[in-house]
Amino acid sequence: MMDCNKTRELTLDLLRGRLGPEVAAEVRAHLATCAACQAHVEAERALGEALEAKLPRHVAPPALRQRLAASWPGDETARRPPRVRARVRELALGAALSAALAVAVGATTATVVENRAATARLDTEAVNDHLRVLEGAPLAKVTGGLHEVKPWFGGKLDFAPAVAFAGNADFPLVGGAAEPFLDRRAAVFVYKRRLHTASLFVVMADGLAFPRDVRTQTIRGFNVILWRSGEQGYALASDLSLPELAALQKLIAIP
Amino acid sequence: MLGVRFIDRGGAREVVALGLTHADALYNLARWLVRDPQEAEDLVQETYARALGAAQQFEAGSNLKAWLLRILRNTYLDGRRRARPEAAEENVDELAPVGNPAADEAHSAQLRSLVADEVAQAVQALPEAWRTAILLDLEGLSEAEMADVLGCAEGTVKSRLGRARAALRERLEAHRP
Repeated sequence: MMDCNKTRELTLDLLRGRLGPEVAAEVRAHLATCAACQAHVEAERALGEALEAKLPRHVAPPALRQRLAASWPGDETARRPPRVRARVRELALGAALSAALAVAVGATTATVVENRAATARLDTEAVNDHLRVLEGAPLAKVTGGLHEVKPWFGGKLDFAPAVAFAGNADFPLVGGAAEPFLDRRAAVFVYKRRLHTASLFVVMADGLAFPRDVRTQTIRGFNVILWRSGEQGYALASDLSLPELAALQKLIAIP
Repeated sequence: MLGVRFIDRGGAREVVALGLTHADALYNLARWLVRDPQEAEDLVQETYARALGAAQQFEAGSNLKAWLLRILRNTYLDGRRRARPEAAEENVDELAPVGNPAADEAHSAQLRSLVADEVAQAVQALPEAWRTAILLDLEGLSEAEMADVLGCAEGTVKSRLGRARAALRERLEAHRP
């Protein structure tokens, strides 16, 4: 028999969908008859929303990332050509400069925080759109690589997606599409890995919370990798294991 | 290069390949543990150095983020013990339960009108083990993974999380009478 104590113990599990159907039904039956427990569940839900949407998530500063990368063992497949390294140094200089400027104008409280809810929205959208791809959203079939996909996007998008990876033997590119992504349109690139599908969504990033640095998340069994490069935001979603998806991400992000 | 010479197991390879993608999660927890940005950066760097040293022990396919967060918290606790060896461990599990059932009369509207600073202050005011439980939960860790990070039983995680949330609600609902 479900009583108030038991119900409160299970509230969080109920909100997270972690209860089996029978127990969930028992809890709901109790809630239907108990206003106090109902209020408790409602308050827990409101607290969860407040934490998700309003608790700042501190983002690792670029200088820290650079120090970490410098002392991290190299990954042979991701070894960057010297040209890119020089550019990274320039960027670092620029970042140092703007940090100095920020201090100069007195913006000492300019903590870099990421809006958790805004980023989570991108993860969720990527997974939902990936599911649409899996369910058979119309794809332009590709046999000849990127030079076939890109003109095809021409009439359907108001930007040119910056993607140079035309697929390889491990990750063949199988199709492209222009699909809605939140309030705008995305260029969709579909890659395969054995029987798995990975969808890459590329959008203009303005107003969206694409992180500067690569960020991974797991949602409903799908892995999502988000990043931003220049003015474009990238979301890569798949049921591939994270290491495999990360390998694909590197191929896409580092031409 | 920190000495990982023999990356022969999948686990270590995964640590090397993906470890740095969790830098934000680690830095965030570090900031909530030590507050000072510079100290937080040092804590994250120390964590990654330890992670490389222990990379062979990481089990491929298990939750890398949780594994790294556990190293970070243990590094933090080691530092705290070194700094204040006399300070007794906070035994949060024996703290009196917070809140009274009457406070459960929901003030959901109050909770929804909160601003970021109020939420941040309430989280910062929690005892460390409770605060960490709240943050790990937000990072999407399961209770079993949280138990691993916190070095306690799953039941303890459940009760810490419950008490932490009750304390937060009590404080945040009281913000605007």
